[in-house]
Amino acid sequence: MVILAVIALVLGMFYGLSGYQISVLDYLASHTDYILYATMVLVGISVGLHESILEQMKKYHLKLLLIPTGIIIGSIIGGVICSFILNEPMRESIAISGGLGWYSLTGVAIGNLSGAEYGSIAFLSNLMREIISFFVIPVIAIKLNYYTCIAPAGATSEDTTLPMMIRYTDEKTVVFSVLNGVICSACVPVIMSVCYTIF
Amino acid sequence: MEILVFMIVGVLIGRFCFPKKLKKLNEKMQVFMTMLLIFAMGVMLGRRENLIHELSSLGFKSLIFCLIPIILSTIIVYFLTERFFDRDKEEGE
Repeated sequence: MVILAVIALVLGMFYGLSGYQISVLDYLASHTDYILYATMVLVGISVGLHESILEQMKKYHLKLLLIPTGIIIGSIIGGVICSFILNEPMRESIAISGGLGWYSLTGVAIGNLSGAEYGSIAFLSNLMREIISFFVIPVIAIKLNYYTCIAPAGATSEDTTLPMMIRYTDEKTVVFSVLNGVICSACVPVIMSVCYTIF
Repeated sequence: MEILVFMIVGVLIGRFCFPKKLKKLNEKMQVFMTMLLIFAMGVMLGRRENLIHELSSLGFKSLIFCLIPIILSTIIVYFLTERFFDRDKEEGE
């Protein structure tokens, strides 16, 4: 799966760099939301086929919030530490780490608010978060526990990294993963506006 | 939010009218769709102007901004889930 992902990424980059225009591929590349929606229906089917899962979810209710809370706190503290290590302003540092892997939004938003260089760092670091998550999810599933696989993925745990959860964890973790992604994605713009208000 | 709606549609299909024997096919389709998503991400990156330049000048800084939050999030979530969640790591294997 990881090897396939690398091949897909490299092929995509080559195609993008080559400047060739193949209409089917261009259509796919510019309509990723449809691919994502189709994926979500397929993931939903997997969850629906697993009969006891909805009952299990009822047991958790408020605990559902623990994972996104841990991710957000960890990422914000991470941003503070990065600010000291790299000697960068606190505002930009927390806004970048608070992107939680959502590179498209943070790259553009921070670029507009703090200039192109911070926009590029926000884009690259959040993109790296997504790509690195791909590779560490299988390791975390074996060495730590299934739920912790959601932590590196952050806001991407509802879309791009979700299939890794499906492959390497169980159906229950997959549902947690989707809910975590929704909560984290909702929090990213909030973290960013709080940063630019306070600092 | 749309994502949740699509997922719920899938859950209902899976629960009430999806033939169990197609389970494996469904899993294979998920892998295929993910590869399409990653391919599309690659295309977007390849078409981004200055990507190579950005990577060479800001790559290291970006990596630090990526790794430290990942490590801290992972540590905190690990302790929270070990403390408050059932240990059912082996389930489903």
